[in-house]
Amino acid sequence: MAVQTRNLFVTSVNADHREGICEKCKIPLVKEFYMDGKRKRVRMVCPECGGLGRLISRSVSIQPPSPPQCVKFSCLFKFTLDTLFCALLSSYHSRRVSYAEKNRHKEILERYRTGNPSPTSIIEAIHANIKLSCPVCRKYNVNLFLNGGN
Amino acid sequence: MAQSQTVTDTGIAELILLWREELATGMESIVCLDMATPCTAAVGSTFADPADTAIHHTDSGLLLAAIDTVGGDTTNTAGDTITFDHVFTATATKNVAGIHVCNNDDDVAFIECCFNAVIPVENTDTITIDGQSTIDQAA
Repeated sequence: MAVQTRNLFVTSVNADHREGICEKCKIPLVKEFYMDGKRKRVRMVCPECGGLGRLISRSVSIQPPSPPQCVKFSCLFKFTLDTLFCALLSSYHSRRVSYAEKNRHKEILERYRTGNPSPTSIIEAIHANIKLSCPVCRKYNVNLFLNGGN
Repeated sequence: MAQSQTVTDTGIAELILLWREELATGMESIVCLDMATPCTAAVGSTFADPADTAIHHTDSGLLLAAIDTVGGDTTNTAGDTITFDHVFTATATKNVAGIHVCNNDDDVAFIECCFNAVIPVENTDTITIDGQSTIDQAA
């Protein structure tokens, strides 16, 4: 059985969905090229105040876990945990973006628009998913159990 | 459904043609994918036949356009990464499920990306794409 992977190419794409009218000045944003270190970047800014427009949602890349490098139980177990975490994290970000888009004109927690902070462990990812699916819990920026605050 | 992104088979074939100095062109264009539900990026997708039932947007500011910036960067070894940034400005209410990053001839999709969820854009909304692809010797 051949395992097909495409590790040689690692691709990531992030997408910011923003309003094109400055929230403060109420004028259309204009395209601006700028340097980020050595990298030439592009963004939409307000010509008056330099604002970036209200963020509606940010889609983020999630890289799948690396394949196991050995057949020891520890390697396979780690791969299983990494895969589970990847699945939970993917689920969280998919639901987060859907939630942010459906509530684009409402006040929601900024973390659901930006994706930050993002869960960093399986426990946090499970907690974040449960919290996001609870209409009451997701309104409050409080976390009694986890440092990640999801 | 997770966001998925991949270099397509046709994209790799175009890259090999470039290495062989045969008839091929580099990364130049970008277009939004139109689909009402989230798509899943696939290596077998092509410029003419994107993932699932997605099609290319052909109007409303989401159509095929020259990428705003394409540059080089370093992830593991010097110059192993290509970066691309682009801003789409919608002129109508549409669904955006993902993007295709294409060659200069607009006949090959190098990279296909399907977003975390469908992004419903309204008139004047912007989508800022921040992408990169690394040929990773360490992988």
